[in-house]
Amino acid sequence: MLNTPDSVPAAQITARPAAFRARPAARPALVALAALALLTGCSGGIAQSVSTAVKDSSSAVATARIALRQDMDGKLTKAATDTSLEDGLKEVEAGRSSVLKLSPATQEERVAQKQALDVLDQCAAGFATARAALAANDGGSPSLPDGDKALADAQDALKQLEGAVGSR
Amino acid sequence: MKRLLGVALGVLTAIGGFVDIGDLVTNAVVGSRFGLSMVWVVAVGVVGICLFANMSGRVAAASGRATFEVIRERLGARAGLANLSASFLINLMTVTAEIGGVALALQLASSVYYLLWIPVAALAVWLVIWRVRFTIMENVAGLLGLTLIVFAVALFLLKPDWGALAGQLAPSVPEQETVWTYSYYAIALFGAAMTPYEVFFFSSGAVEEGWTVKDLLQERINVLVGFPLGGLLSVAIAACAAVVLLPAGISVTSLSQVILPVAEGAGKLGLAFVLVGIVAATFGAALETTLSSGYTLAQFFGWSWGKFRRPAEAARFHVAMIVCLLIGMAVLATGVDPVQVTEYSVVFSAIALPLTYLPVLIVANDPQYMHEHVNGRVVNVLGMVYLVIILVASLAAIPLMIVTGAGS
Repeated sequence: MLNTPDSVPAAQITARPAAFRARPAARPALVALAALALLTGCSGGIAQSVSTAVKDSSSAVATARIALRQDMDGKLTKAATDTSLEDGLKEVEAGRSSVLKLSPATQEERVAQKQALDVLDQCAAGFATARAALAANDGGSPSLPDGDKALADAQDALKQLEGAVGSR
Repeated sequence: MKRLLGVALGVLTAIGGFVDIGDLVTNAVVGSRFGLSMVWVVAVGVVGICLFANMSGRVAAASGRATFEVIRERLGARAGLANLSASFLINLMTVTAEIGGVALALQLASSVYYLLWIPVAALAVWLVIWRVRFTIMENVAGLLGLTLIVFAVALFLLKPDWGALAGQLAPSVPEQETVWTYSYYAIALFGAAMTPYEVFFFSSGAVEEGWTVKDLLQERINVLVGFPLGGLLSVAIAACAAVVLLPAGISVTSLSQVILPVAEGAGKLGLAFVLVGIVAATFGAALETTLSSGYTLAQFFGWSWGKFRRPAEAARFHVAMIVCLLIGMAVLATGVDPVQVTEYSVVFSAIALPLTYLPVLIVANDPQYMHEHVNGRVVNVLGMVYLVIILVASLAAIPLMIVTGAGS
């Protein structure tokens, strides 16, 4: 079950296309690269995939927080902020999709996958709140600080997950 | 006075025209991940492009013909075809990336989804190529591209710790990166600076504008002053990313991230400048790459070419460009990320460099075409050194792409 706010149905998030990192149409390139990586013995495994997804999502959330802050400070236009949030959400969804496709072989890997999916869902929900706040823009709820708070919480969760993945 | 103004205009357009989507994205990616530790690569790339652009401009001025035309005649059909295949395919990727770049920049300005801007951008490119005179087209795009200087302005307004920034200049691999990703992005940055289309466009443009040996001094000033200043603009893009994005743990994967440091330092006014600059730079490069596609094909097959001719007198040249634009649009319509197309195009540029630059070096040494304007000894030594660098970069690019998962 996705951890999404009421204003954004879960289906709206899950319906987005699966992708390699932030680039949905790059799947053939990914397949080719993955095949080559396997051939050259460079295949990583679950920990590496989770780590990559977490790093990419951390970068996306950090970007969104800067964009939101600049918007609140009157430094960024609504169009640019909206585009930043959209790009960030794509990045998180791509990470989530790559983790979802993993086939864990051990109990430890299953736990790692579940934890990663929970945190990435929280990130997607944070983005949804931020986008809803930007779209509302009438002083109602959620406000831009609410959006920033949701992203800050997601960022904390990502940091914890990063630490947990790193210690494995 | 008129000559001085011409030189100034040439230099300014060379600066404004230096940066394209490849430079924008690659410098921002590198700045956000490696700080300023790859400025040396930009320097090596800028010297290389100055060397070979100057050479091909000299070929055009001395022979009165475009470099590619001379290569085809001097080296024969087989070598010409190898050169054409490599240059044309890279060019096509770059056309696609540039049109995507225009669309992404327009999305940032309007929040209208970039896929809807792609046909508009491609149509505008075709209209300008069809209707606007070469000199006006080149000067307007180049001068508007100068607004990218806002990256340098923003860097000062961000008030960075200059000492710490200077400390990043030494070539070193950051802790969180590997020597392989560092090498991969070094090659990408080198490829972005030495994109083959720049050389072919430069020499064909010299023919379009009717340069002769009397214009060699101006050509040299344009290249030797304009391109290095354009290189400084590239460094400013990387520095902005290094100051704002690197400390926040942000790795650039989209154009919306590239503009954030400018908004941070210079606010909405800076944002307006950078958006105009990105649209102008990518649109200008889309014009150049589309024209380069037409130039290389027409010059190889011996078709009538050039904007100095009416379209009806160079029909196949114009049809070839329309087909290239349609292919670029079709590729982008699949939903492929233009930023990723850009990342691949600069690496593939590096792979194709030997096939592009070796023939230029050979032709520039042929007295039959060059008369007394053949390369001097220093230029030849530098040219040979660069051929070695280019060859190493070309051979290492694909293995590094595999090992690093395309730099991820």
